[in-house]
Amino acid sequence: MENKLHVQDLRISFRTSNGKVQAVRGIDFDLARGETLAIVGESGSGKSVTSKAILGILAGNSIVESGEIIYNGQDLLKISEEDFHKIRGDRIAMIFQDPMSSLNPIVRIGRQLTEAMLLKGRIRQRESRRAFRTYLKSLRDMMVASATEDTQRSRAAASCGKFQQFEKKHTQLEAAYNAAHEAATEALDDIEVISFELEKNTVAKGAADRIKDIARCSRESLNDYVVAPDKYKAEVTQNASDLEENFKKKDYKAVLGKLYRLREILAEGAKRPKPNFFRMGYYLTFSNQPLPDMPPEKLNAFLLDYLEKDFMEDFLSDAKRAVAYSADQCYDRIRGTLQELEAAKPVFAAERLDRKQCMGTWKKLGAAVRETIDPLAVGRDSLVYTFSPGMKSELDKYFHGVKANVGILRKYEREKRKFDAIVAKGGKPDWEVADAAVTDLDLIKTNLSHIIDRLTEHYRELLDAADSRDYHAETIGAIDYLMQNASGIVDRVTPRIARHRAIRLMEEVGISEPHKRFRQYPFEFSGGMRQRIVIAIALAANPDILICDEPTTALDVTIQSQILELINKLKTERRLSVIFITHDLGVVANMADRVAVMYAGKIVEYGTSEDIFYHAAHPYTWALLSSMPDLDTNEKLAAIPGTPPNMIYPPKGDAFAPRNQYAMQIDFERQPPMFRISDTHHAATWLLHPDAPKVDPPKAVMERIARMNQRRETAND
Amino acid sequence: MTNQNQELLLRVEHLCQYFKAGNFVTKAVDDVSFDIRKGEVFGLVGESGCGKTTTGRSIIGLYNITSGNIYFKGMRIAAGVQSYRDELKKTKDPARISQLKALIKAAQKEKKNCDREYAAKRRSELEAEYGPKIRAASGEEKAKLEAKYKDELRKAGKSRLITQIQMIFQDPIASLDPRMTVREIISEGLVIQGERDKKVIDEKVYEMLELVGLVKEHASRYPHEFSGGQRQRIGVARSIIMNPELIIADEPVSALDVSVQAQVINLLNELRERLGLTILFIAHDLSVVKYFSDRIGVMYYGKMVELADSDELFAHPLHPYTKSLLSAIPLPDPVYEKQRRRITYNPLAEHDYTVDQPSFREVRPGHFVQCNEAEYQKILAELSAK
Repeated sequence: MENKLHVQDLRISFRTSNGKVQAVRGIDFDLARGETLAIVGESGSGKSVTSKAILGILAGNSIVESGEIIYNGQDLLKISEEDFHKIRGDRIAMIFQDPMSSLNPIVRIGRQLTEAMLLKGRIRQRESRRAFRTYLKSLRDMMVASATEDTQRSRAAASCGKFQQFEKKHTQLEAAYNAAHEAATEALDDIEVISFELEKNTVAKGAADRIKDIARCSRESLNDYVVAPDKYKAEVTQNASDLEENFKKKDYKAVLGKLYRLREILAEGAKRPKPNFFRMGYYLTFSNQPLPDMPPEKLNAFLLDYLEKDFMEDFLSDAKRAVAYSADQCYDRIRGTLQELEAAKPVFAAERLDRKQCMGTWKKLGAAVRETIDPLAVGRDSLVYTFSPGMKSELDKYFHGVKANVGILRKYEREKRKFDAIVAKGGKPDWEVADAAVTDLDLIKTNLSHIIDRLTEHYRELLDAADSRDYHAETIGAIDYLMQNASGIVDRVTPRIARHRAIRLMEEVGISEPHKRFRQYPFEFSGGMRQRIVIAIALAANPDILICDEPTTALDVTIQSQILELINKLKTERRLSVIFITHDLGVVANMADRVAVMYAGKIVEYGTSEDIFYHAAHPYTWALLSSMPDLDTNEKLAAIPGTPPNMIYPPKGDAFAPRNQYAMQIDFERQPPMFRISDTHHAATWLLHPDAPKVDPPKAVMERIARMNQRRETAND
Repeated sequence: MTNQNQELLLRVEHLCQYFKAGNFVTKAVDDVSFDIRKGEVFGLVGESGCGKTTTGRSIIGLYNITSGNIYFKGMRIAAGVQSYRDELKKTKDPARISQLKALIKAAQKEKKNCDREYAAKRRSELEAEYGPKIRAASGEEKAKLEAKYKDELRKAGKSRLITQIQMIFQDPIASLDPRMTVREIISEGLVIQGERDKKVIDEKVYEMLELVGLVKEHASRYPHEFSGGQRQRIGVARSIIMNPELIIADEPVSALDVSVQAQVINLLNELRERLGLTILFIAHDLSVVKYFSDRIGVMYYGKMVELADSDELFAHPLHPYTKSLLSAIPLPDPVYEKQRRRITYNPLAEHDYTVDQPSFREVRPGHFVQCNEAEYQKILAELSAK
């Protein structure tokens, strides 16, 4: 399965007045496409901190000690805030726990829903245009540079030049189509509402405006590929003007008649398949002939034929040559950079780093690594992209630490002296001296050399795999990339379109009467409806990862199960990856494909939901399972005694040991590693060590598993 | 039915609680009747906004009820005067007016009277306790006892019946005053009742703290120094210090983590056995309610739709809303969860109440359902077929 998100060795601390709180202490997980990962744990176990780190909204006093979060080839911990704007909310969205506090109480629902669409729409359009132009330019350069004959060179230059023209034509055509199609669907929606009103003979206040809108929209929907003008133009314009006149005369019966006819025409138009404007634009520019007159399906096939005959042969071979050429050049540069990296390594391994030398080397290396980026590669290479910013942030931390450590240590010694003096006098101070929160310089140095090592290793792998590259597939990918961006350029979001999309989104998440609801304020909604709005806002930008931070804790059972069903439905429809954070195991069983149980900043057990619920291995998971009553529980609940540890002083051994009735001596002394139980199931407890005594889970858990098996068997019979 | 023969502690009769906002009337609780026997846990479930919390608050007297009666230990502690007053404004019939006025007067009198009666009862209890002792004692000891007796009598004169009902609130953070120490919070009720002896107060507070699993040292701290579970324990201690007979627990565990939730439920269970408490348990988490309650009432939009023993209710839900509610419970069992289908409840589609209005009927001993005649016959046929 395709991996969407990869978190490795993430460590996050918070600076507080009492010392450094270690909230997350080295966690790793993957998230595949279309998968739900549930993170379970008590409050304070670091599950929300993890999700906030993914979204880049950690509190100001947080320190990311180490680790990486790779999304789409970028390390989210290292990219700049500006780059994050393109990801946050757009690609990764979040649903918060309390729907009331995550909505603005004084802004109408509609505004809040469309806000992001409008803001992002413009930027996305600009981004697409820039990506299209720069890519085309580098493609053209490479095509010309790689050409061996003059004819090839001139042909490449000409076809790329025509691409510019063709982009214009394609954009015009598709934009016109988009506008007409939007107008048709909008008119259809309005007709639905107003005809309902007219049939009931209850004309609401805004009816006149709505009629006007319908007339205007139906006129605007005239387009070759929506409502064919040569066939319907006369009728549509006639109907639209009749509509307004009849409405003024209050002849509702006539109005209804016209509306029904318009609905027929528009519905037929809206249902027609969308032609492929990229191919159409290509045909128009390259063949210099008018389009043949045929219905869209046939036209699409015809254009594809043309494209394959003409376009693929010449252009594709040129492009393929260019891609191979560019990759070759890239390999050369990689070899050079490899040597530079090797040479630069000792600089960062010195006892005390020299600021001037380090910054100079960093600049040089950064430039060299940037050079190795293949301008024609469509996918992003995370290590290469994050190399320079990653190094920079570590270096900054180091040199800042060198300065700050002195002061911190001095302060600590002063306090310690004071404390010792009081103790020496026989006093019993009721305070303690917090450990000095010094920056770990050695850790940073290992991180630095680790970054370089990872990159060299990656480069070696790339060079080894050079022979087996499929340039044909890459060329097709490149053309797809161009096509995608070309469509992105036309995707304009006007306030009207945004409103329209928001209403459709509201319907999708199950809000009735979206037209009316659109103009209301958050306090007019019930808890479940508010949470639906929050989900709709999260989905507005069409993300691929949805983080749900206890989305149903504030809701009651029926609403909870409706919201969970909604999230599940959207997940399958849009192939979303979901990170679901909760402490309710019942909800986890419903939602999760895989479960990670967190305690004191570490993942103590992870596996598929079957693994966790039927074959739990960690005592903490047992305790969670047995402390929750189900419908057949009669005996006393097994509550977990005590409280989670204070993370300013993280325990030396297993963090759960003091609350664990199965704890052994070693649990207090050493941290257990992750033991593998099966391919999908891992747990960090010494009980799984081959030398450990065999322990059965608590009675409550065993009984519950037996009951579940029984239920399953009876269900199968 | 284990509690069949025990005495009634609380009876709620046709309780209605309407809220007015301009011309719009919200019927938060609409004609709800049930009774709670001594020593049992009565669970009240339903979705948010169905009126379960309002019911609890009406019982403890935080609202003036619109109509209906609430009896506690055989005495009427609340009566719906508001509906009489509304009628009084509209009606022109002089006979009806005098009748209504008499009703209002009776209700007011009874409300005052129940406290007076309770105080008198307390006094006679004290008399029985101290009388023989004082008569037997002599000299200094007698004077001491007499002083104590006098003090107790003074407190008894102030005591009110309603203090025998106490409430535990949903949000342990919002329901504790951040500027009061735990000692002040817990002892507030005693102080209001006239307890002046600091020693007695401290002793009582320590006893309560121990009872709920906290230690003496906690008494001088402030609420923000405690975790969620500990705060809820403070709330429990505050409610049991008045030695109540009925506790209204309004979603006491909804705001807590799973592991802490188990701690608080265990505590309530323990206290119930030790002190013989009766609890009205309001919650929306059905597995917790099932675990904790003897009988369960299901509410939907201000109406009680079903009431039965908890096992009976879960085994044979009869009202379609109960069925839909039960089908929504998430269980920690992935295979079951993936097969679970939620039943939706649409009152307009399920019932036809245009001709025959529904009422609350007993279909089996102890099992009540809100239904009309046709549905009643259907349910009976269904039950006898089983």
